[in-house]
Amino acid sequence: MRKGVLLLIARQFLANVFKSKAIYLLIGMMVILLFYAALSGKGYHDQNHFRTEHQEIARKSWEDNPDKHPHRMAHFGTFAFRLKHALSVFDFGIESFTGNAVFLEAHRQNMVNFSEASFSTGLLRFGELSMAMILQTILPLLIFFIGYASIVSDRANGTLKILLTQGASWKEILLGRSLGLFIIACIFILPYLLTLATLLFSEWHDSGGEEWTRFALVTFFYLLYAIILCFVTIIVSAQSQLAKNALVKLLGIWLLLVVLLPKTSQAIGSYFYPSPTKLTFRSAIEEEVIQNGDSHNPNDPFFNSLRDSVLNVHQVKSVEELPFNYGGFIMGQGEKLSAKIYNKHHNRLLINYRNQNSLTNWLSIINPYLALKNISMTLCGTDFESYVDFQKQSENYRYLLAQKMNELQMKYISTGHISGSEGKVHVVNRSEWKAFPDFDYHYPTVVSGLRNEIPSLLSVLGWFLLSILFLFRLSKKAKAL
Amino acid sequence: MYLFMFKQFLRTKTCIFGLSIVLLLGLVSILVGKQFLVRQEKAIDEVIEKQAAHIERNLDHHSDDIGLLLYYLKFALVNKATPLAALSIGQSDVHPKVQRVKILTLEGQKYDSDLVNPVKLLYGNLDLGFLIVNVFPLLIIAFTYNLRSEEVESGTWRFVQVMSRSRFRFLFAKLSVRAVLLFSALILLFMLASLILGIPWNDPFFAFLLTAVFYLIFWFVLSYGVVSLGRNSNFNALTLLALWLCLVILLPAALNNFVNTRHPIPEAFSSMIKQRNGYHQKWDTNKRKTLEAFYARYPQFESYGYPPEEGFNWRWYYAMQHLGDEAALETRQLMQEKVALREKISKGWARFVPSLHAQLVLNDLAGTNLSNYTNFLDETDRFHERMRLFFYPKIFSEVNAREINWQEFSPEYVAYNQRIEWQKILLPLLIVTLLLIVVSRRRIQ
Repeated sequence: MRKGVLLLIARQFLANVFKSKAIYLLIGMMVILLFYAALSGKGYHDQNHFRTEHQEIARKSWEDNPDKHPHRMAHFGTFAFRLKHALSVFDFGIESFTGNAVFLEAHRQNMVNFSEASFSTGLLRFGELSMAMILQTILPLLIFFIGYASIVSDRANGTLKILLTQGASWKEILLGRSLGLFIIACIFILPYLLTLATLLFSEWHDSGGEEWTRFALVTFFYLLYAIILCFVTIIVSAQSQLAKNALVKLLGIWLLLVVLLPKTSQAIGSYFYPSPTKLTFRSAIEEEVIQNGDSHNPNDPFFNSLRDSVLNVHQVKSVEELPFNYGGFIMGQGEKLSAKIYNKHHNRLLINYRNQNSLTNWLSIINPYLALKNISMTLCGTDFESYVDFQKQSENYRYLLAQKMNELQMKYISTGHISGSEGKVHVVNRSEWKAFPDFDYHYPTVVSGLRNEIPSLLSVLGWFLLSILFLFRLSKKAKAL
Repeated sequence: MYLFMFKQFLRTKTCIFGLSIVLLLGLVSILVGKQFLVRQEKAIDEVIEKQAAHIERNLDHHSDDIGLLLYYLKFALVNKATPLAALSIGQSDVHPKVQRVKILTLEGQKYDSDLVNPVKLLYGNLDLGFLIVNVFPLLIIAFTYNLRSEEVESGTWRFVQVMSRSRFRFLFAKLSVRAVLLFSALILLFMLASLILGIPWNDPFFAFLLTAVFYLIFWFVLSYGVVSLGRNSNFNALTLLALWLCLVILLPAALNNFVNTRHPIPEAFSSMIKQRNGYHQKWDTNKRKTLEAFYARYPQFESYGYPPEEGFNWRWYYAMQHLGDEAALETRQLMQEKVALREKISKGWARFVPSLHAQLVLNDLAGTNLSNYTNFLDETDRFHERMRLFFYPKIFSEVNAREINWQEFSPEYVAYNQRIEWQKILLPLLIVTLLLIVVSRRRIQ
């Protein structure tokens, strides 16, 4: 294979494409879409301002509390607002369907509420226009459109025969055309990546370069996706008898892989792993908590035996004689138990959801569109696991807050005052509120995110290798007529 | 001749493959709908079943303190679904169908979302509505893109020109063969759905069916318009697919982005904080002032008087709780207005785009639209107030909890009554279709 010939063929393909007006129309269309998608992405991401603003308001009202009984503060609680990742301007992922704000208080794991979807009309279900979405779904159509006839028409009009007799090999022709097609794909893709880079740069946060690692990976995988699409186009074109057939085959592949399969597989996955209703989920937790010990029940056997052993250890006869406030202690124990039970059930629920998603995830092995979609969401911090991570961090914070308040109660509230938190007598100094740090969310690292996407990573690499192998095999037995 | 066309088309790969895919997906969609309905019914049954036991259990623990009892009790309000919801699940998988509220601050309770898998929401529901709006048009395209060009490309067009009296009638006959098949498939799916999901043949059902039929007629006319330009198969296929892409993916997505980024709703966050502060900060303030504010809203309770500043008191407690809602009232109203505005803009633009219009109408008919949910929230407000006004005097005068007839407090229902405005539903589709006919006839001449 000669490099010169390869480039010559690629250049000739490019010249041919740019001879028609259609290409300018398509580039123009892609730029308009880019403009709109970037604007929307920025619009959504700008909503972070509301969130940091409200996080600050929530924090201020927390710190402004006067001297109080700590249990009042445990119920005053605070809020966690979910911040969008900087790369979410590129890929919205599941952002619109996940909750954005959660109230954090003692004894209770509240729902993360106010998803964009809960305020949206039915239009949302048609999908969203993001830069990633355009590259994932529209780009394949453009590559198919530009490349479908590249081999098959040349065979029909005899150009192919001339090329071969002039000394070009099949391998050079197929690879050269793929290269030409890929260069055109790059013309479509590069403005998108540049826009993303500009947006990232303008929203620059000092995050230790993590964002740029993500950006580099986004670039790599989208280009790889484009290469796969180019190879597939050339292969289908070389294998078809008529240009019409090549086009129909490619459009059929697109419809199947992009429109029909993902929705169907998710529907089937959800069908076979039905998830519990909220009431079932909540009552299962409630029942288990009560079974283990109900700290609100004065005659609960578990907490009674706990009390007796505490009294024993400290060699005293009544809880009032203990060196700490017993009410704070018992609530701390209750919180520990109920949080453990909640986490167990919540993890079970997550496993159920992961099972629902598993069919779609494994299907990405045969569907490069799904594979790229999964990888892209993960890189942009808008995937399922990122959301789970937010839930986990906010629940952690909630737990620490509740336990801190119980500790304060044990330490500072008089040992004789076991229950009741009203009034201004049994209080803790307000400086303690400030001393407890605010909720500070950290995104999971890229590596930990990609570890969940092994099927998708395998798929993209596998498709790349297979399509190259197939192209080489084809070049050995292809016919010019 | 007609029968021959029928047989000829039935033997083609496109026809067999296309119809079987649509019928298969149709069957899946009906099963998905069935599961959705069953799950919803289960959720409702659980609430009904558990409410009595829930009241009974708390009554056992706290019957001596009605104030404390009502701190624990939850009362259920159910947003009744119609079986049509299974055909167009819309937004109803996001919104809970049941509210279980205590007579405490409502703003902190009523927006509680349902338990959902966000990935499932992302891919959306494979319901019959999706099939009608997205997949059937694709089938129409596959059936018609080479209506004329296949004759030209296989060389039979000349025969047609010679043999048949009118080329238009020949093409129309071919088109009607495809239409008959497609509409038969559609009707078959509707019959199956009605049978499996127990949907009565009432006005909403026929409106649903007619919307689907009108929408698909629009697609036939559009396809026919493109085909009759007389270009080759590749041109037709690409043009029609591009149109499909615009109507079913790009335009709706663009409009949704526009509405949601242009009208963000930070008020939801503000109202959440205001509600919390409005209630909790009262713990640190004067009890008398709290009750004065409460009595200003509900003067009928003023005769219960003011409690001492020292110590805990239920009158004061429930007054604090209610003032949380009062504090959030203004932002809540702003939020409601914005949500209503979002729906108004969406519907306004949708009139001009058949795919959007069809989807929104199907959701409306099925009661799975946004306003069905906001209406349910309003009903929850009213229900909550009714409960409060019933229990406040009981708590304030410390009646014995056993004296109340708790049997009465079984879950209540909000029924979905809608008027079907036929012209609003069908006219936009009809007008766009007619316009299309006029334009394409002019082009051909």
